[in-house]
Amino acid sequence: MTTSVGRRAVIAGGATALLVPVAIGLSKSASLLGGASPTDGASANAAAGPQAAALGAYLKIDTDNNVTILIGPTEMGQGIMTGLAQLVAEELMLTWTQVRAEHSPIVATSPNPYANPLFGAQFTGGSTSMRGWYLPLRKAAAIARDLLLAAAEALTPTGAWTLASGGQVTDGVHSYRFADLVSTAATLTPPTSATLATTRNAIGQRLPRTDIPAKVTGAAVFGIDVQVPGMLYAAVVHCPTLGGTVASMPTSSRGALALVNLGTGVGVVSTDTWSAQRAADSIASSIKWTLPQNTAALDSPSIAAKGLSLVASAIETPRVYEQAGGIDPAAALAGAAAKIDATYQLPYLAHACMEVLNCTAVVTATSAEVWAPTQAQALCIPTVAAITGLPPAAITVHTTFLGGGLGRKFEMDFVTEAVKIAKQVGKPVKLTWSRKQDFQNDKYRPCATIRVQAGVDAGKAMSALLYRNVSPSINIQRNSSPGNNPEDTGAVAGATDLPYAIPSRRIEFVPNPADIPLGYWRSVGESYNTFAVESAIDELALAAGADPLAFRRVHLSGDPRALGVINAVDALSGWSKGPPPSGSARGVAFLKGFGSYIAIVAQVSNSGGKVKVSKMFCAIDCGVAVNPDQIEAQMQGGVVHGLAATLWGQVIFNKGVPSVSNFSNYRMLRLSEMPVVSVSIVPSEAAPGGVGETGVPCVAPAVANAWAKLTGARVRNLPFYPGATMGDG
Amino acid sequence: MSSTLTLNVNGVARTATVSDSGMPLLWVLRDILGLTGTKYGCGIEVCGACTVLVNGKPEKSCEFDVGSAVGKKIVTVEGLADDADGRKAQAAWITNQVPQCGYCQPGMLVATVGAMKAGHHGSEIASELKNICVCGTYQRVSKAVQTL
Repeated sequence: MTTSVGRRAVIAGGATALLVPVAIGLSKSASLLGGASPTDGASANAAAGPQAAALGAYLKIDTDNNVTILIGPTEMGQGIMTGLAQLVAEELMLTWTQVRAEHSPIVATSPNPYANPLFGAQFTGGSTSMRGWYLPLRKAAAIARDLLLAAAEALTPTGAWTLASGGQVTDGVHSYRFADLVSTAATLTPPTSATLATTRNAIGQRLPRTDIPAKVTGAAVFGIDVQVPGMLYAAVVHCPTLGGTVASMPTSSRGALALVNLGTGVGVVSTDTWSAQRAADSIASSIKWTLPQNTAALDSPSIAAKGLSLVASAIETPRVYEQAGGIDPAAALAGAAAKIDATYQLPYLAHACMEVLNCTAVVTATSAEVWAPTQAQALCIPTVAAITGLPPAAITVHTTFLGGGLGRKFEMDFVTEAVKIAKQVGKPVKLTWSRKQDFQNDKYRPCATIRVQAGVDAGKAMSALLYRNVSPSINIQRNSSPGNNPEDTGAVAGATDLPYAIPSRRIEFVPNPADIPLGYWRSVGESYNTFAVESAIDELALAAGADPLAFRRVHLSGDPRALGVINAVDALSGWSKGPPPSGSARGVAFLKGFGSYIAIVAQVSNSGGKVKVSKMFCAIDCGVAVNPDQIEAQMQGGVVHGLAATLWGQVIFNKGVPSVSNFSNYRMLRLSEMPVVSVSIVPSEAAPGGVGETGVPCVAPAVANAWAKLTGARVRNLPFYPGATMGDG
Repeated sequence: MSSTLTLNVNGVARTATVSDSGMPLLWVLRDILGLTGTKYGCGIEVCGACTVLVNGKPEKSCEFDVGSAVGKKIVTVEGLADDADGRKAQAAWITNQVPQCGYCQPGMLVATVGAMKAGHHGSEIASELKNICVCGTYQRVSKAVQTL
């Protein structure tokens, strides 16, 4: 049969030249505006439009005077394309309707102008994009503004050119559109500095997202939607046991055009995804696997039992990340007026992105082109180079939209597989994992066992905190090179640098090594440490006979921004005004993390013996709120992500076989279960903080604290309801 | 067995050569006809990302045999703009800034339009939407359908 190519077919490479025909004099402006020119700005969703000329690395201005901003980070739902475009719109006084945004190219050369300035690599994660780009991108835009003004002066010397709104400059009599100036501007020597705008016409405004129109018409191109002429389709079979490798495999299969030994699995190529998947299913039982030697150790109940043992035992050399105060916490605890000693357990979790892992690749003898839904642009070209042996200059990688990333799309496994398959078959190939493969070959959020001992003095003031996290370490498992956080301080993120006034504290980490593959899951270390910390603070407040919110307020009084969100969530939820409606209770949790401060109050009731979360009140101080509407969206999303994990999220491993295979047995929140989320954004002129992950960690402790208040039952082990399925009410 | 079928998709007669008439409509739309707006999510009719209208009714296309779609009117997210209800729903989605990653939204929108075509409004629509959205756009979906 023949495969017809869709009407939105991607023309590999060819369309790029049409989009960016002009690259004039960029050698002068390049370094200050960011280095490389956008000679290849085409992502898979590139559409034909007016001709555009580049001004530095971040801007393209077309003949209709529309301004396209090239965005280094990945748009995976967090709205970063829009947020970063707002920064440029402010500096250039753009009208929002003339603003476009698209993913930047992935640049292998150094310096890469699209690398996050916070850490010098093109990665998207850790809620760092706005934090990293807020000033650098504004500065680049301001330099572009000064170049455009200088271009007007060069063309018509009046000494009176100023910026006007809508992408224009004026001398009071005449005006130029940016489109009229861009080719001249690109030949001028850029200034070394530029004054940033003091206006707030775009920054701080609830501007509509640039990507939403395409996301309601079906035109948005996610990785899984990429189409390349002549493309074949592939599925993959991995070993049902984690870590298994191919011992032997069939050489052909009915319905398959090729079978490719990937080492860790078998790629199955066919004429369409369904046929590839069907062929994959048919050969699965014929593949012989070499199992890892320690399959018995790939057992989550055993790992959890080991965690319980390690958390309680005397260990001579735990890794100590923080020891504050001159008093030994154990001694301080001995003299406490009231104290708690509680152990919390959290499970392995899957990412469950709506878009399964996928990647499209074309590999020839002289070049490779890859379309990847990736959060780790910086790793892509080295990965492709290692497989193909091609020099980086011969490799082009495009970032597509991501149907959720959540940390999973930071990995290179799916990219590696697609490139290997494409290399072997010599034709363009799109690899799509089945949902089962996606769930059963995840890089799972580590499980954790956390013991918290804490006490208060006679005045109800916290005197000591002794904290031990026992968990498998992402970084240790990856054998990170020295200097790349080999100690894994992320394992205790959310427990260190607590702004609570606690005179004596000791934060320990004890690795609980296991070979279940680990990865970064939205909010990473805070996703488990904040549950333990904020549950324990609550338990301690109750033990001391204090109101949990007032107890936090007292101990956060030394940090005005922390106090700000506590007071804001108090006002928003009505906590101090009076009790919640009859039959319901409130619980509170707080986090300083990702450069932001957040406090969440959960309001819950008892529905047939199970918790029903009816309202979530979020107060956040994320510094300058670039787009309040998107911050609210991230809070709503954080609540949903956190709530599904709190109530149901869990992956169990039995001899290396994961317990989950699809959404049917990995319960997600439905619309009918959505609590009403209210958000209060505390006004702030501090540097922007992260919002993508910030909303997640407080959800579990706020709900557990509310449930304890309502029922007296303290949930220390997550999830609330293990073994839930989508069929459950 | 390879066969050539004619499908009415978004008001246009489309010819598709498929390896098997049991191939799910989802993959015919995506891989044969190039209409990639309809999404693969779970493949087992749980998540709703693959929802299309068949003769005006929402159907999960991931387990809907393409052979059964012959002779019926299929509407995908790409066809919503040609339909008054579809345009109204899309406008409500934009007004309320619903999508985040956007991956589940084609299914969510098509399911909404199916409910509208059944004569439902507002919270009636919300109560029918079982689509999974991992980003958590539910609150805005609820708000958007209140206007429909």
